[in-house]
Amino acid sequence: MSRTSQTGARERILGAIRTGLGSPPAPPQDIAAEAAALLADPDLIRPSLGAKDLVEIFAEHFITQKLGGTLETVPNLEALPEAVRRYVTGHGLPPAVALQPAAELLALNWDGVETRPTMARDEAVGVGFARWAIAETGSLVFHSGPDMPILFNFLPLHHVVAVRAGTILRHLEDYAEAAARIGAPRNAGLVTGASGTTDIEGSYVRGAHGPRFLHVVVVLG
Amino acid sequence: MEHAHAPEMFKSASAEALADRTLKIAIDRTTGTAERKRDIAVAAFPEFTAARDRGKRIKDHVIAHLDHYLVEFERNAVASGAKVHWASTAEEACQIVIGICRSVDARSATRAKSMLGEEIGLPHALADAGIERVETDLAEHIIQLAGDPPSHIVWPAMHRTREQVSVLFKERHRQPHETEDVPAMVESARRELRDKYFAAEVGISGANFLVADTGAVCTVTNEGNAELTTTPPRVHIVTAGIEKLVPTTAHAFAMLRLLVRSATGAELTQYTTFHCGPKRAGDADGPEEMHIVLVDNGRTRMLVEGQREMLRCIRCGACMNHCVVFRQIGGHAYGGTYPGPMGAVLTPTFSGLDKSRELVHACTMNGRCQEVCPVEIPLPALLRGWRDRSWREGLEPASVRYGIGLWAFVAQRPALYRLGTRIAVRAMRLFRRRGWINSLPLAGGWTDKRDFPAPPGKTFMELHRARRREKVS
Repeated sequence: MSRTSQTGARERILGAIRTGLGSPPAPPQDIAAEAAALLADPDLIRPSLGAKDLVEIFAEHFITQKLGGTLETVPNLEALPEAVRRYVTGHGLPPAVALQPAAELLALNWDGVETRPTMARDEAVGVGFARWAIAETGSLVFHSGPDMPILFNFLPLHHVVAVRAGTILRHLEDYAEAAARIGAPRNAGLVTGASGTTDIEGSYVRGAHGPRFLHVVVVLG
Repeated sequence: MEHAHAPEMFKSASAEALADRTLKIAIDRTTGTAERKRDIAVAAFPEFTAARDRGKRIKDHVIAHLDHYLVEFERNAVASGAKVHWASTAEEACQIVIGICRSVDARSATRAKSMLGEEIGLPHALADAGIERVETDLAEHIIQLAGDPPSHIVWPAMHRTREQVSVLFKERHRQPHETEDVPAMVESARRELRDKYFAAEVGISGANFLVADTGAVCTVTNEGNAELTTTPPRVHIVTAGIEKLVPTTAHAFAMLRLLVRSATGAELTQYTTFHCGPKRAGDADGPEEMHIVLVDNGRTRMLVEGQREMLRCIRCGACMNHCVVFRQIGGHAYGGTYPGPMGAVLTPTFSGLDKSRELVHACTMNGRCQEVCPVEIPLPALLRGWRDRSWREGLEPASVRYGIGLWAFVAQRPALYRLGTRIAVRAMRLFRRRGWINSLPLAGGWTDKRDFPAPPGKTFMELHRARRREKVS
């Protein structure tokens, strides 16, 4: 794979496209205008979600659509450690969790729950913090960074995720807009339910490679 | 079940598939479920028709300005720190991937399911280079252990029953399942693959979308194996067809609404991820290098050879789930990487029409594939285009050419044609049993599988003339 042959491939491909299209290239501003027009009137091409409260819409899509999703609401972030303690006890697990190094989580009082900043390859419980949620699809959104190791979403068997009600967005496009404002992170992940597979005879099984249980704690305050 | 078929063996391979009762059960289970789930999802989304029209126009827009978007994507991907490579052919693409693997002395590479990887023959190229290939998608893991090619673009192990999977896992897994149920088998695969994610030097994925204005690569999975494949290794390699572009993230979402509903009936895949460059300063994890290989492999030829609309395809699999032919014979009989209607349209581009002309005839033209296609690809018309070309290039066998020549000769001579049909309808009545014909000389291809309705004793023209006489008198 010498440099020249690859440069050759690039020019060959672009040249073949130009010939194949058989028309001169359009001015970039015309292409941009056409692309923008294809996103006009978004309500015509996306599900209408009704007039309900966003937390309610998010919960409906998160719980009913995906097996393995459970949800609770807490009045404020300070109530999260207690919710986590209840969750692990309820599942008969020891009160020890891997904690995503997000400032919001690190600032909390975790008395009664042992927390670790690292995550084992087969962690029992991971606790995370989603930057946004999307009501339309019941998705949680994570952006990679020092406070968000991507593997934290995939290694634990139980994933407990806190999200602030105020960061629940209505539609997928609302997230695209918010993301465009801050620039793309290395990794932007939309998580919609627990890991699942239908690869053996179409029967649905949870916990294929990622978490088998996904519990969302919506923080109202 | 041995499946090393090629498109030129379509007839014998489909006869073999039709005789396989277990295969029929396996096909029905997966395609039947997929059809039902899609129906429910589309019914719950009244805006689907409008969304589909928009999706089609988004893809047409991208194809009409493909060079513009490729250059924009390249610029932004490079700005994110990724390296962009271009490959005209499958061989070039494989050479680039193997070259990157060698540059980091890779002994093992994990792979998240990518149909393009299959299309360019990456599994073989890795094997030839002595690099251990670890398939991480559950279905790909099953067929890797079995040595099978994929039989469906969404459910590649669709042809394997749970009993067969159980035997495979017990033979090959280090700690196999102990109870005979699907969850235990899935757990066994989870255990088997866990440490392999962290042992690989390279993780290879495909791309569902390439986002031009950010330079990001979008992958979708339900299992979570793509992120486990692409995050821990030192190097992430993406192989993607040049038609995968979308202008912006919002356009990707408009397409995802169509793709996921059409494929699995869900509103969104469990893991929808945008990968943008290698690990950044301060990032907690991620690969040190990201390479994106943009692959042509016949796509620019499709632009000039009348297959332009096929470049809209987003690989959802709905056309095969709804195809009466696919549902009888499954995916392997097609002998190419892509089966079903979309495969019958694509395979002649990749393998040559001379080798795959039987595929383009394996269609009843009932139009169901086009109806369910989320970007409204006129699959029957594209297949007719290949048939037409096969005729013009003299690829049709002598029996077909003489048969059609004879029919044309008679059809152009009305008296002769009427005489022929008068004899035929009377002769056919000799074979009827209670209004049906279950065996007819020269028509075994039809009557072996189903009965033929016995014609009335007279031709249409005779009946028509008799009725007109009645009216006059």
